Amino acid sequence: MSVKAFDLIPALERLKIRCIECWGTNLYLGTEDAFIFHYILEETVKNGSVTFRGEKCSHRHLPAKKPVLQLKAASALDRMLVLCDGVISILHLSTLEPISGATKIKNVALFSLNENPLESSPFSVEIVVALKKKNVLIFTVTEDKMMLKKEISTQEPALALAVDGAHVCVALQSQYKIGNFETGHVQELFPYDREQVNPVVIRISQEEFLLSAPGALGMFTAASGISQRPPLQWSANLIHVVYTHPYILALNDEFITVHSILDQQQKQTLPFMGGRCLGEFDGRLVVTTASDVYILAPVAIEKQIEALLADFRVSEALSLAQNARKTGLSKEQFVKMFRQIQLKAAFIEFSQMHFEEAFKLFHEGKLDVRELISLYPRLIPASSEFVRSIPPLHEIADINQLARGDRVKVQEFKDFLLRYLEGVRGTPRGMNHALEIDTALLKLYAESGRSQLVTLISSDNACDATECATCLEKQGRHHALALWYYHRGNQEMALRIWSRLTDLELLWKYVDWTLERSEEDGVKIFMQHPKRKVESDRMKPENIVKHISRFPKALVAYLEFLIFTQKSQKETFHTHLAVLYTDQVTGHLKDTNKEQLVKAREKLSYLLRESDLYQVQLLLGEKIRDTELYPECAILYGKLAEHEKALDILVTKLHDFSAAEAYCITASQGKDMACRKHIFLLLLSIYLKPGDE
Amino acid sequence: MEGTFKKETNTIGAHFSLRQWGSYNIAIWDTAGEEKFCGLSAFYCRGAGAAIFAYDVTSEDSFHTLRARFKTLLQDADKDCLVVVVATKVDLLPSHARAVSQDDALILTRELNSAPLEQLPYFETSSLNGQNVVKVFEYIFNQKLSHQNLEEQNRTVRSSTVDLRSSSRSSSSKCRC
Ligand SMILES: Nc1nc2c(ncn2[C@@H]2O[C@H](COP(=O)(O)OP(=O)(O)OP(=O)(O)O)[C@@H](O)[C@H]2O)c(=O)[nH]1
Ligand SMILES: [Mg+2]
Repeated sequence: MSVKAFDLIPALERLKIRCIECWGTNLYLGTEDAFIFHYILEETVKNGSVTFRGEKCSHRHLPAKKPVLQLKAASALDRMLVLCDGVISILHLSTLEPISGATKIKNVALFSLNENPLESSPFSVEIVVALKKKNVLIFTVTEDKMMLKKEISTQEPALALAVDGAHVCVALQSQYKIGNFETGHVQELFPYDREQVNPVVIRISQEEFLLSAPGALGMFTAASGISQRPPLQWSANLIHVVYTHPYILALNDEFITVHSILDQQQKQTLPFMGGRCLGEFDGRLVVTTASDVYILAPVAIEKQIEALLADFRVSEALSLAQNARKTGLSKEQFVKMFRQIQLKAAFIEFSQMHFEEAFKLFHEGKLDVRELISLYPRLIPASSEFVRSIPPLHEIADINQLARGDRVKVQEFKDFLLRYLEGVRGTPRGMNHALEIDTALLKLYAESGRSQLVTLISSDNACDATECATCLEKQGRHHALALWYYHRGNQEMALRIWSRLTDLELLWKYVDWTLERSEEDGVKIFMQHPKRKVESDRMKPENIVKHISRFPKALVAYLEFLIFTQKSQKETFHTHLAVLYTDQVTGHLKDTNKEQLVKAREKLSYLLRESDLYQVQLLLGEKIRDTELYPECAILYGKLAEHEKALDILVTKLHDFSAAEAYCITASQGKDMACRKHIFLLLLSIYLKPGDE
Repeated sequence: MEGTFKKETNTIGAHFSLRQWGSYNIAIWDTAGEEKFCGLSAFYCRGAGAAIFAYDVTSEDSFHTLRARFKTLLQDADKDCLVVVVATKVDLLPSHARAVSQDDALILTRELNSAPLEQLPYFETSSLNGQNVVKVFEYIFNQKLSHQNLEEQNRTVRSSTVDLRSSSRSSSSKCRC
């Protein structure tokens, strides 16, 4: 696979090109037949496509009549260095005329400009010169002088060289060496065979060089003589190599190949027959055949990244983006651009179900989480103001499109969203979109039946009210729905739902939970629980009574419900309630405000009178006989038909004669005359008994 | 370093990876075995603190190649470079004959390591089933890193692996190191 990093654009045509040089829009060609041509490059952009045209402005024929081997412009000095016939001479940059009286260097095989000079000065440049003999020299070049500074012996003539600071890397007849002008130390790198390898050396950056090696490899080497990058794989018949970050371009007889220095992989191949020169000049790339000149125009980095992403080559795209710092963006612009790419990459990973990678990239790209949620049908609430980003971050319609009806995959997508939302919820970024996050979480929990549903509902949340209630209802999450209402202050609704819960486990759990909050509310769950034909053991009133026995108010309410509403005929309920009523009365006896007491007594006597089902003896013996609850005691004696004792209390303890007479009437109601007489006689005998007073 | 690996293609030039071992950065080169890359392999071994010499336990040739080349390969490595000799493909031994004896391997190991060592650095491994692969690297890291003093802590330790297995695919006439 490849990415298009460069376009090849013809610039001008010229014969027998041997070398090129370029600065600004000035292009110089040195020819096999001793000519130097100077052109001005005109760049025109029309409808987004670039064309180049070369306008010739001058030329010069060198007297040596030999090939022009190298040209190097020193624009700051207004000079051009030229190597022809083994001699480096200095020319005027603009006129290409020789400088009279200027120094020349003879017996030169090749030279190279030191872009990282030992002494930097605006009035000079540094060149490293390989002599045809066996040494390499470093010169300072001024407007008209070239002064030798240092020298290293290489023992063999050099075939190629590159320089950085004090380090010079040279290709000799059968091996590469690296030398240091300051220490004079020369180190061997590795051997090569000239028959098979055309030696090429270029400078990559400070203290790093790239060399052509056996097997068409491009070997990186640091100035220290060791390598810290894996080699590049080139093709045979290499002619020249240039580096323009992050690409390394290699010219051979048929192609220009483009490798990335970041991953050492080949990115693009441009067919290019008969290549002769390849040069990089401040970012401008020029390539020639023997007669034609082309400009290699970089394809905008954004386009390259888009192309990589379109090919699903995410890590390459990211790495390219990360290294695009040079393209003149401000820090903020860069960060923004990079995040955008991270997000695009994330959606690609996502669509391929590479969830780990997607998670990381979503996170790093600071995803507006709603972009992700919106890929899941029906998760974004209607109340949300969200619209997808323009330009779009992806081309995904929704996860159903990605999963293509595969249920397992759909679930994996949902699990991923859950995990992501749980991660982002509560973070500052999550806060901004709490509505969408919480609603989506609730819907996902509701659908999958996860226990976190209850936790979410029971804590502060920003869920969309109507959608969530509808969803819980639809998913049959009744308990959750009840809780939902409960936490929104709608206890009535909550209890109604709870009492209808068919899942008794849950019901019991929530009875306690509500009882602890409100006994009156909690007990309603039982009171509203619909009666079924076959009732489970747990829902039998006995069990309910037992269960709520530690909640006195709830217990009373429930027993009242059983006795008065359900008309339960169970003795134990009646006795139990009577005992509880009695305890309430006793509890209020000492109150100064008698209101409560009065109420409690009314209830107690009502029950004692109306019910015939409680254990009278028990109540009397355990609770009432030895207390001052005389009216209640009288009722109990009445129940036992111990009329004398009842009347005695009414008369002697309470002095309530009308009550006593009423008692006689009630007690004898429906009985025969003899019985009535007997009762009234009893009353009379009590009246006649000698009293205490 | 993943414990097991199976790579079908010949290494061209070299592969490189960086690993973290505690606070250390470890640079690992996997160099090519073919003879034409021998010069490059020596280059990659420059300054190496440790080297792994691997040969195919079922191929006598691979062992001889290793004997023939080690001097060149190690000429620029650290003076006290730890050289670990590794017999690979031991998973094949039930079905294939052992072509290199342990004794021969141990003799070579002793020859290659000038520094005194408690245990001769020789391992029998299989990258098919992962046997001893991690051990080899752990042994190296422990040997090279535990004795270092604090000022050297941040130094990157370079180690090179020199793969000397002869490929089952390549003919025996092709000398591979
Ligand atoms: N059975 C078995 N086969 C192995 C083992 N190790 C490697 N192989 C096989 O041997 C062949 C070569 O393995 P490589 O690791 O590529 O060999 P290499 O020494 O790195 O080769 P170069 O990179 O060309 O030097 C491959 O087909 C592997 O599958 C092993 O432990 N057991
Ligand atoms: Mg290999």
